[in-house]
Amino acid sequence: MSELSLQTTPEQQRALERFYHYEARLLDARQYQQWLTLVSPDIRYLMPSRVNVMVDNRQRGKESMISVERELEGEDSLGCPIREESYLHLMVRVERAFKINSWSENPPARTRRIVGNVELMAQEGDALSVLSNFHLYYARPGNADCIYSGQRRDLLVPAEQGYSISRREVVMDYANIEVPTLGLLL
Amino acid sequence: MRLRISDLVNAEASLVSRRCWSDPDVYALEKRGIFGRSWLFLGHESQISNPGDFVQAYMAETPIILSRGTDARIYANVNSCTHRGLPVCRADHGNTKRFICPYHNWSYSVEGDLVAIPQEGALCNKPDKAQLGLKRVSRVESWRGLVFGCFDEQIEPLESYLGDMRFYLDAFLDRFAGGIEFLGAPHRWVINANWKLPVENQLGDVNHGAFLHSAIIPREAQDLIEELGLSVVPRPGHGATFRLMPEDSPVDDMAWGMEGLGGMFGGDEVQEYLREIQAQAASRVGDIRARMKGLTYGIYPNLSFLWSNTSFKVSHPRGPGKVEYWSWAVVPADAPDHIKKILRTNYSSFFGPGGILEQEDSEVWIQQFQGSNIDYADDRPYYYGLGLGEEKVHPELPGLVSVTANEFYARHFYARWRDELQAVEDT
Repeated sequence: MSELSLQTTPEQQRALERFYHYEARLLDARQYQQWLTLVSPDIRYLMPSRVNVMVDNRQRGKESMISVERELEGEDSLGCPIREESYLHLMVRVERAFKINSWSENPPARTRRIVGNVELMAQEGDALSVLSNFHLYYARPGNADCIYSGQRRDLLVPAEQGYSISRREVVMDYANIEVPTLGLLL
Repeated sequence: MRLRISDLVNAEASLVSRRCWSDPDVYALEKRGIFGRSWLFLGHESQISNPGDFVQAYMAETPIILSRGTDARIYANVNSCTHRGLPVCRADHGNTKRFICPYHNWSYSVEGDLVAIPQEGALCNKPDKAQLGLKRVSRVESWRGLVFGCFDEQIEPLESYLGDMRFYLDAFLDRFAGGIEFLGAPHRWVINANWKLPVENQLGDVNHGAFLHSAIIPREAQDLIEELGLSVVPRPGHGATFRLMPEDSPVDDMAWGMEGLGGMFGGDEVQEYLREIQAQAASRVGDIRARMKGLTYGIYPNLSFLWSNTSFKVSHPRGPGKVEYWSWAVVPADAPDHIKKILRTNYSSFFGPGGILEQEDSEVWIQQFQGSNIDYADDRPYYYGLGLGEEKVHPELPGLVSVTANEFYARHFYARWRDELQAVEDT
């Protein structure tokens, strides 16, 4: 994805950012049931695994030699992505959060997301390909605080609350996984 | 006052001191007495099928390169240059002719032999390269594709070390005509816990499911697991738990893979594939093992296999209070690619760093380590006495057998652990 984002009108850009800010607020406020209404029932929710790969000598001097894509074991690979989920998985995660015996969320984590660098990369019919970056501060009693950092590669379709998320791939920035869980709604 | 191991674990291993998890001196003994003298899991042959293939591994804190030599044999070497100690391999996996140290370009063959010292051309006295290869792991053996290494030259052969655990491992491994395959690089999850608790959890602790995981596992499902569940210690330190399904069980209840989310919702083709494997199970592994529907497995000291969600895991210690927990999804090697991709979600949906279920486990492992540091409660060792003496021999299953509520799997583990540390504490 080396191309410049699409030229958007201020209204289009504002609509995308408004949606992402709303989504971040719902998640930080733990209003997960409302968040689920932003998700399309046919969603693919993905998180590739990130690996250390060998330098390919034939790629020397080219940007592809150190590309992020080479480090990802995603859904098309025969590696093992961290997450490959459907609406069902997300529903189970949301339901779980409202049970008193979901111990890793009792007491719940205090989170704060900052979402930015929102770029509309492509449009096909109604569907919008949108990139965004996030930093998430995470604090839970009993654990050291930590920061989650990543990129989201979304496919959005227009819907009542702005958009509906029909595909999300979350590319996490990690070497070893030092956070308590990568199972958050990111 | 000097700590004695005999003060930490009592005779029947029903009381285990908090210091076993938290004390730096105990950890130093573990590195010598256990990780220095046991067969440790390095990888699976499917990861290094061609000459030049390699993967990284660890033996406790020691970084290892596991590779396939140009002679097609398997090599395990310490990933540390003989000149200044830097790692000579940085990738998780790959294929190469040489491992090269970045500092002064000393280069090693894929077998670990030193082949080039760039500086020697300018010098009169040439070092003897034959003496300067990467430090080789003394013993490397594999069984059913699982490769293990040991630092101790004198250790018994791998097959006798595994003992009757092979009977239970084969119930899974031998079900697949083409063997199994490890998918991709391991997920490496750093958890502020002691290495033994993840091991204990996968060794036989089925019954925490009803409580810790009750937000996800329905009570009726857990009741059925416990009703049909058996816990076996084939040899102290190893363990296997499984359901022995009644002979008239429907194939969908018996077949491996059906109970994961991939198997449940992955479509008819995957389910047909899983039924096909089960249909051949009795002829491949015999009647009783065909009816085994596995839960947790543990191989002493730190390898786990979760049959129900088909993942191999290694608990690599990083000090008393930190573990690098590696896990892989495992699939039948000869499955079509699109079926492998569905079956791997049987692991990742619930387990691993993004799994719905295992976040509860990692949480309690961290909290147990914090509890183990409470000095004031040193006179309150942990109670491991549930079911003491209730395990028995079984007419058809090797080892000692009991219900899953019996904690004998852990008592055997800590008794072996105690004896092995005692053997080195005065040396």
